[in-house]
Amino acid sequence: MNLPVERQSRLQVSSDRSPHGRSVSVCSLGPDLVAFLRTCSRPGELLRSVFRVAVAQTPSPEADSLPDVSGRYLLLEDEVQFIPHFPFEREVKYRASFDPRPLGAPLTAESLNLEFLIPSEQKAPTLTEVTHIFPSCDLLPENLLRFYVCFSNSMQRGRALKEISLFDSDGRPAVDALYRPPVELWDRSMRHLTVLLDPGRLKRWVGPNIQLGPPLKMGQKYTLEIGSWINDLYGRPLRERFRKHFVVGDPIRKRIAVEDWKILTPMTGSRQALVLIFTSPLDWALLLQTITIESADGLVIEGRIVVGQHERRWSFTPTSPWISGVYHIRVGSSLEDVCGNSIRGAFDRPLRKDPSLAAEINGPSLSFQLI
Amino acid sequence: MSEKPTTIGHSRRDILRFAAASAIGLALPGGLSAVSNAPVAHDGPSGPLRSAGVLAFGPNNVLFVGDITGATIHAFALRDKDLTSQTDLISGNFHNFEGRDHVVGLDQKLAALFGTTVDKIVINDLAVHQPTEQIFLSVERGRGTDAIPAIVKVNHGQLEILELDSIPHSQVSLPNEPDFKAMLEFDPQQMYAITDLKYYNGEVFVTGITNQRFASTVYRIPYPFNSNMATCTVEIWHPVHGEFETRAPIIRQIIRELNGEPYLFGVYGCTPLVRFPLSALKDGAHVRGDLIGELGYGANPLDMLTFTSPADSKDYLLVTIDTRSASQIAVSELASAPPQPTGGGIDFGPGGLGRTQRALPIKAEHIAILNSKWAVLIWRHPKTTYRLDLSTLALPYFFERKDGMSEMNWPNGPDPFHYREHRNELGNQ
Repeated sequence: MNLPVERQSRLQVSSDRSPHGRSVSVCSLGPDLVAFLRTCSRPGELLRSVFRVAVAQTPSPEADSLPDVSGRYLLLEDEVQFIPHFPFEREVKYRASFDPRPLGAPLTAESLNLEFLIPSEQKAPTLTEVTHIFPSCDLLPENLLRFYVCFSNSMQRGRALKEISLFDSDGRPAVDALYRPPVELWDRSMRHLTVLLDPGRLKRWVGPNIQLGPPLKMGQKYTLEIGSWINDLYGRPLRERFRKHFVVGDPIRKRIAVEDWKILTPMTGSRQALVLIFTSPLDWALLLQTITIESADGLVIEGRIVVGQHERRWSFTPTSPWISGVYHIRVGSSLEDVCGNSIRGAFDRPLRKDPSLAAEINGPSLSFQLI
Repeated sequence: MSEKPTTIGHSRRDILRFAAASAIGLALPGGLSAVSNAPVAHDGPSGPLRSAGVLAFGPNNVLFVGDITGATIHAFALRDKDLTSQTDLISGNFHNFEGRDHVVGLDQKLAALFGTTVDKIVINDLAVHQPTEQIFLSVERGRGTDAIPAIVKVNHGQLEILELDSIPHSQVSLPNEPDFKAMLEFDPQQMYAITDLKYYNGEVFVTGITNQRFASTVYRIPYPFNSNMATCTVEIWHPVHGEFETRAPIIRQIIRELNGEPYLFGVYGCTPLVRFPLSALKDGAHVRGDLIGELGYGANPLDMLTFTSPADSKDYLLVTIDTRSASQIAVSELASAPPQPTGGGIDFGPGGLGRTQRALPIKAEHIAILNSKWAVLIWRHPKTTYRLDLSTLALPYFFERKDGMSEMNWPNGPDPFHYREHRNELGNQ
């Protein structure tokens, strides 16, 4: 099958090794747009209003009327470069935007935005890369709810939708499999991104599920790809694109059975880890937040959590040695597995018959005793 | 596609070859230039400038720029396309002493244009091209040794960076500049290497200091530049200090013909006003100026200019001061004022013409005369201290009525100056 190659325009900051210092470019422009710009008698004047670069950190009553950064434009084969008259300063945040829509039909390219900051030289960290994608297993259930993509540095919003794709075993995009949220789902550190599979297709008996079926097909191989043009805090692309290959297995549609967890208790007086072994992988991010250890008198024990064995193992190393006594393992009611099944029930279970919320507030608790 | 990239419109360099054979470079016009792999001296809008200091216009649209870091005086022969007439701009309500803000937040806008933050913007001087009334600023981005100089012009309220690398240019070096490491008690000596420059009758007059024993120097440089530069050193009696001084430089100067003879008038820090006949400023001479006024201790002059009063048609000298109101002195008194006695004790003044000076309410970081009725100034006025504005101020009282609080501002207040009759009279002249 011969699919049209879609051109994906993007904004990028050049390296400082180019002959006139750093520039900002809008790359991979469609041939129509390039041809149009070439026919303009004063393309520079035109570009000034559609390809703009401004200082991003100028809060003041006059901010709306501040001029853009002064510079010139170069039109290359499929690219327009903005070269500032004076080099970009380090540690100043700039905002570049390219919105060719005022140029009119038939040029329908969409608006692009890029915030970038060139760090001072001593602060510039190594190029950013994807460090993990969770679930880390390569056999995933058909009704998988989400991925977490973890980066080695803080990132910027704006390019996740474009750069993250799911391909089937033939390399074709898995259409409408990933959910496209109106706001990218970053954590506070801007290093962890949540990527959801379309919940409407996951939840049985609702419209998208009935019409399109589940987003992943059992027995199929897929690749989740993180393109390198997702930008880090400094406006730089990733060191390289990242791919996670996986195979789809049976769906999981049951609640998390806490009573089936295996508890490996530590020695009294030691700082050995308390270990929980789960029957199936649980949600990586929630495992770090929802399980706490309390002493018999209700005090939360401080320590460090490590999640391993493809999110089937949770270990807790206390700050102080264990002392004898009874301990409670408190499990928050928000804990889910990789399919969104919780300790109360399956993700797409029928509506509860009992309207009381009381059962929802307190999660279950396990106990163990150290002698 | 052609093998060579195409240029459209004007560019200093005509056809430019772009590095990659596959990349077809197109240099874009409209304040846009192009790329060349050939080494080109002074590439970029800073052109040959290494720093941007004092400004002055000469004949034929020549803009002179004092460049302390380069120890150089530059002359840029502005072309017609480098100048845009601003005479259609409304300067304000002249009858009612109400000026207009041409650029609100000048420092913030310069920072945005230069791609930096406002703390990195330094405005070193302001000059007006009289035929077009276009305002030029010398600006630096950064405060350290890596500061980037530029000349910015104001075009109907918009700031435009002059692309100096494309403007016809000549320059002359100043000898004996102070060592860049040499210090005064509080500042580097180099800061004062070029304090002011003025064009008069085929010559550029430059004041400042050198590394010589008598450091305070006046250069007379023929323009168009040639090798015939005259250098003389100047000294004065400084009454506030009770001594002759040969090193502290003239801070601001003007040149005027009075009774058929040209003079250079210089004003110093703390604040002597001194007269030198040009005929005395010969190459190699050491000249003692006539102290004709002591304007008062503890003051640093910011600008010195003359203007013709639209009220009485007489000419006045104006010296703006950092710590207090500006001083106005009748030009007619400058030639006739007797030299003050020298060799006495410390006298805090004021003395001589300082006794008859009139205080004008000007608080400007830079000021210049725009036309026969208006001055233009860069100031941080009391209501907008967080930003600099570029505004007009009506001659000859240099008074901005809208910043004041008075009985006349009340709806039914008195109107002794007939402001209400002229309320709607916005105009340029």
